[in-house]
Amino acid sequence: MALYQDLGRNLQKDLLAKWYGDLALANERKEPVAYLFVSGNVEELLQAYGFHLVYPEINALQCGIKKAAGGFIQKAEEAGYSSDVCGYVKNDVGIALAGGKWPLGNLPKPDLLVCTYAGCTTYMKWFEALAQHFECPLFVLDVPFVRDEDVPAADIAYVVTQLRELSVLCQAVTGRTLSEERLRELVRLSAEAEDLWVRVLEMAKRRPSPLDGFFEAVFFMAPINVLRGTPECVAYYEGVLREMEERVSLGIGPIPEEKFRVVLEGPPPWPHFRAFWDLFKRWGVTCVASTYPRVGGIWDWGMRHDPERPWESIATHAMNGYTNWNLARRQAMMRRFVAEYHADALVLHSVKSCRAFSMGMADTRELFLREDRLPALFIESDLADPRYFSEAQLRTRVDAFFEALEHRRSARV
Amino acid sequence: MIVAGIDVGSTATKGVLLHADGRILGRALVPTGANVVRAAERAFQEALRTAGIEDWEVCFIVGTGYGRYKVQFGHAQITEISCHAKGAQFLMPGTRTVLDIGGQDTKAIKVGEAGEVLDFCMNDKCAAGTGRFLEAAAGVLGLDLAEIGDVSLRSRDPLRVTNVCTVFVESEIVSHLAKGRKVEDILRGVHNAIAARSLALLRRVGYEPGLAFTGGVSRNRGMVRALEERLGSPVHASEDSPFMGAIGAALYARERAEHAAAPGKA
Repeated sequence: MALYQDLGRNLQKDLLAKWYGDLALANERKEPVAYLFVSGNVEELLQAYGFHLVYPEINALQCGIKKAAGGFIQKAEEAGYSSDVCGYVKNDVGIALAGGKWPLGNLPKPDLLVCTYAGCTTYMKWFEALAQHFECPLFVLDVPFVRDEDVPAADIAYVVTQLRELSVLCQAVTGRTLSEERLRELVRLSAEAEDLWVRVLEMAKRRPSPLDGFFEAVFFMAPINVLRGTPECVAYYEGVLREMEERVSLGIGPIPEEKFRVVLEGPPPWPHFRAFWDLFKRWGVTCVASTYPRVGGIWDWGMRHDPERPWESIATHAMNGYTNWNLARRQAMMRRFVAEYHADALVLHSVKSCRAFSMGMADTRELFLREDRLPALFIESDLADPRYFSEAQLRTRVDAFFEALEHRRSARV
Repeated sequence: MIVAGIDVGSTATKGVLLHADGRILGRALVPTGANVVRAAERAFQEALRTAGIEDWEVCFIVGTGYGRYKVQFGHAQITEISCHAKGAQFLMPGTRTVLDIGGQDTKAIKVGEAGEVLDFCMNDKCAAGTGRFLEAAAGVLGLDLAEIGDVSLRSRDPLRVTNVCTVFVESEIVSHLAKGRKVEDILRGVHNAIAARSLALLRRVGYEPGLAFTGGVSRNRGMVRALEERLGSPVHASEDSPFMGAIGAALYARERAEHAAAPGKA
């Protein structure tokens, strides 16, 4: 009997509903609220000061999946934002212009904005706009781009210095003092959840895979990005791991029959998530690994928060989000995924909104085609703007790609 | 045994009837229009009529093109990318690359020896540099789409047209006319601009000589010449080229029908 079926999905919804419920009351209860970004976020430090945390990107993707993005994006465009500005930005600005009223109730106003502009300079303009709108202090954490093979110790020290400055500002905003003990505990819980999350992701190395490492992982990744440092987050990944182990024992997978295994690069088109997944399901495709769940942090190869070195490990984490890595590192990561997760092909999904993600994808396709002789498909749409999605065009590309793969496979047999 | 391929494109719908021995028995081309289901039906009926064949004689039908799922009488659907590759290798053996320029998109396809797709690239979402672009250019010059290719071949001093945007090409052409430039020179520039853009797509899949030019625009002789000049090698196009998707679909229909008759064989 399936005891844990759909636990990962249902519990995720419950956790987020509770989190958004708390957020809606934060202003009223006069509890401090901070806005920050997902990529390499420093939530442990902010949580140590008792901040409620708001992630504008998560709000935007929630609007996308609830088919509410279009209206907010239009609102921002009416206010003067160009059609070329990132859909996430316009969605979030649209919510702010609507006074925080959105499909999940009410979003609280911030007391502090913390901009970690890891890998994306648009972030900085985004939070400057919010700072102006909310008349609220903005702290810009200058996170160095990962330029070489290794992260220099000086870069980590540079971020730690800024984290100490941020801590002083948090004290001023909240009137509270930092407990190093509490910070260590938060960091310890984060590391525990990270261990479990990696074990969940690695379940997809099995054949057939019990997990879709993209279409399911992008849901399962929410707690590790926004609720790290909490016991609920640890319990969540224990549950998801059990669900996956149970799927293996019952022979259940994300699709009835796995025919192709692919690595997927790029974000999902949230407003058309289901239609996009269906394009692949029809061909029996499981995404065994993908880059998008590594946007928040890349824990696959041992990076962890560390209670022995809380400040340094928060700083290290801040730099190691996917879009803050240089192209060579990203390509090496995809190569590793292809080998370790036994993939038949690479799918690159370029999105108009996010240059930080989509840059270099054409080169990456070339690299895998020529050097690795790995079939690679390039498709385009957007992560937030429902207008940039043409199902017929996407379907032709996806169908043709798997027709060719099928042909190659039957010719080989 | 007779099979059929129906290629429902954005602008035109093509129907082809094929005999098991490889002979093309009938073909038809009708505008797709608003009713896609009806267009597929009409192309099929028209092809039957030209061949003098009854519909019950056709044992397997494959739908292709954007409207492939609207070929309601079809037995299978295969993308036009696979079909153009298949058709081109069949009619023009030795094809290494296919360039398909249709009404709304351009595809570069790298083809294997058995007509299989090795790689492909398409234009991005907009219709820049496709058949629609030529239509817009013809429209603003008051010419028929069928004649602009030949007109362009009269050019002695081709213009440099940089814009391949279907929307902005009109104002660009109007401004050249206002400057007194000759129609043939403008049109040659338009064809050269599409050729340059197509070449970029071909390079992305790794161009090799042995190019089959297919799709509706392949009827345009000016386009063939512009491509040949850019590539420095011959471009193969024939009166069958606009039907290549439907021909490939019919070839897949033949394979499937044969496989159904003798399942162990394939």
